Amino acid sequence: MRKAILSAVLVALATGTVARAETLRIEGSSTVGPIADAFAEYFKSVNPGLEITVNKNGSGNGATALIEGRCDIAAMSRFMSPDEFAKAVANKVYPVAWTIAMDGICVVVHPSNPVKALTSAQVRDIYMGKITNWSQVGGSNTPIVVISRDTSSGTYETFETLVMKKQPMAQGVEYVNANPQAQARVKTTAGAIGYVGLGFLEGVKVVPIDGVRPTKQTVANGTYPLSRPLFLFTNGFPKLGSIPFKFVTFYLSEKGQELVEAKDFVPVTNY
Amino acid sequence: MKLRFRGQLDRVFTIATGLSVVLLTLVLLAILGPMVYRGSSAVFFQGTVEFRKMQKNLFGRGDEQALHAEVAETEKVRQQVYEMIDAFKKGVDVEALSEQVRQIHRQFGQDLRDRNLPAGEYTRLRELTRQIRDKLEAAFRSQDINEIKRLVGEVLKDESNPQLKGTSAEKLFAIARQFLQAAGQIDLGKHQEYALALQEAEGILFHSEALPGLLGPRPGEPPAPLVMLRYGATRWDQAQTLLDRFLWVEHWVEEKPGEPLVLQRKPRAELFPEPLRPLFTYVEQNAGKMLHPRRTVYWQFLRDDNVNSHYFGGIGPEILGTMLITVVGMLFVIPLGIISAAYLVECASDGWTMRIIRMGINTLAGVPSIVFGLFGLAFFVLFLFPLLGFAPRPCILAASMTLAVLTLPVMIRASEEAIRSVPATYKEGSLALGASRFHTFIAVTFPAALPGILTGVILSLSRIAGETAPILFTGAVSLGAVPRSLFDPTRTLSYGSYDMAVGDRLGMMVPHNQYGMVVTLVLLILILNGAAIMLRTRVFKKLRGH
Repeated sequence: MRKAILSAVLVALATGTVARAETLRIEGSSTVGPIADAFAEYFKSVNPGLEITVNKNGSGNGATALIEGRCDIAAMSRFMSPDEFAKAVANKVYPVAWTIAMDGICVVVHPSNPVKALTSAQVRDIYMGKITNWSQVGGSNTPIVVISRDTSSGTYETFETLVMKKQPMAQGVEYVNANPQAQARVKTTAGAIGYVGLGFLEGVKVVPIDGVRPTKQTVANGTYPLSRPLFLFTNGFPKLGSIPFKFVTFYLSEKGQELVEAKDFVPVTNY
Repeated sequence: MKLRFRGQLDRVFTIATGLSVVLLTLVLLAILGPMVYRGSSAVFFQGTVEFRKMQKNLFGRGDEQALHAEVAETEKVRQQVYEMIDAFKKGVDVEALSEQVRQIHRQFGQDLRDRNLPAGEYTRLRELTRQIRDKLEAAFRSQDINEIKRLVGEVLKDESNPQLKGTSAEKLFAIARQFLQAAGQIDLGKHQEYALALQEAEGILFHSEALPGLLGPRPGEPPAPLVMLRYGATRWDQAQTLLDRFLWVEHWVEEKPGEPLVLQRKPRAELFPEPLRPLFTYVEQNAGKMLHPRRTVYWQFLRDDNVNSHYFGGIGPEILGTMLITVVGMLFVIPLGIISAAYLVECASDGWTMRIIRMGINTLAGVPSIVFGLFGLAFFVLFLFPLLGFAPRPCILAASMTLAVLTLPVMIRASEEAIRSVPATYKEGSLALGASRFHTFIAVTFPAALPGILTGVILSLSRIAGETAPILFTGAVSLGAVPRSLFDPTRTLSYGSYDMAVGDRLGMMVPHNQYGMVVTLVLLILILNGAAIMLRTRVFKKLRGH
């Protein structure tokens, strides 16, 4: 038994020196991850020799990985921060951004909630704990259960910038660490409010913000106040015709846009 | 008196321990039972014809001819659905019809030009189809069935015209006939209302998840960009959920102002005009015939690669990755752990340094696993690999080494206890016979301590196979090729389960695959542990001389 394992490992080690096919490494946001997955699957089907790895451990880690040269493409749900840029340039990495899709952050409530619309100021007050009952914003007499994404997610950061205007959230806010969890929590709790991406609206009620309902149109043209672009970052402008180039420009093709749409994001142009 | 009390206390103790065992078993069953049940549905389920189509196309499995026959059979039943909606459309979607007629007229003009006819002839034929076009358009707009009959009748007179025979203009007559037939069946006064209903019906039938989710895209449509959209419901349980969504609408309505809304379920058919309603009854009654559910054992779940982020397919690469990481990790942990323990017991004097080392080991055992993950990234991947001339990238080797560091304290503690509990007389006997200290350890102490050491192996094994955080940065990916060497990153069951739970909404759409992955991980650890426990029993028996 032990001999068998040992020889298996030795064989594995030996084959490590065999020439490897071209590999494209993508790291970063768990929001952009699904698009990267879909693109990667399509790319592998048209380039059989190509290997693509996708790792979804957050926008921040994607940026760090690109700066440290651990990946070819960083997927990010926010733009690179000035700090990250400075570090990158100091490391002789020159980040180039590719906006591959748009995403809307939808404020959602339990479907039994009669509230019809909210303003971003009201949402901010709810998250700051100034408004604690739905009757204060035209709903029924139900205490508000406030759900937020964890503070390390790009979605939180966008929400913090666009809605909270950098004001701190209240003590009682409940933090969940992914879109599916936020959706499930709101879906099962009367009186809950949360925010999720466009693809997670089943079983919850979307509330228009400042009179605008998040749809593909309002997100794409930016009228919906909680719209954000999703990015891929490369180190410098990739060589024309190379695999990374094809990958980051794939969103411009009809096929790419269809995939973006099939994954419930908004393509950047009307194809 | 005192004696009786003592007896009763004993009995209470026996009952209490017995109860706690029962309780523990129940808790275990309550946690594992539903999980195993739902997880097993990834392998055992009622598969539909869509499942067999998918298996054939994606994995090349199944009998081609039997599948063809089955597909033809189900397609026949499905065709009715599409025909029903098409028939309704013919009478209602007059704009599409007008556009079609205009297109044919244009095409006919193009064809005539290519034929190089004399100028007079060309103008006459062109005029003829223009008249037909105008009459048809008038008929489409009309809400009076008699007028429609008259106009279409006039159009159909030209059908015998030999100059139109065999040309593209012939299609006009087919459209005229179909329209006449459809117009006879619907209430023309409700044209507007129907047109709106049609828009909604088309939305539900061809664009939402309801019907395409059930039956897959309509035959003849261009293939969808994502593989998962090319098939209908592959499982009968999934089909029933979708069928329910297709047949019923959920509405949240206000009963009293200022109160929470109340859920109401209404048959979807009620929202549609009369001519479309039979469609819903038809789908409800013939769902079985359209999908052919059949008992399926999809054991290849444990072997197949996944398609579209685990929407289809199995967890083969994940199982392989987990095994690889575990085995390689154990290769580091076992020798290192035993050697360190042997040193701590046999060689080290009980001094100040030793106490610090021991405290360090104990502290390490309590450090959160993500810290080890970050350490692994910083030390193995970014520092050690470039130093040794390897590319600084996450891989199986780095992940295994990180996990080895993580479980080393457990292994050292268990082995230390085991070695320490070997009776001193064994060692003394060996030393008295003239054996060296090293030889004594190899030949006497180590075999006697082996069962205890194996306990340590079992504990570290489970930990290594199940940890997620340490491999997050050091070797796990959510999508990637099957590893071909230890310097490739890999997918694993633990990280895969995490990824499915937090990444996409697909995890929620295919809970059976998610549960399947988790249960496989649990079973894999159970099997590995079982093997180790069996080994321990055998060693133990051997030691006792049986």
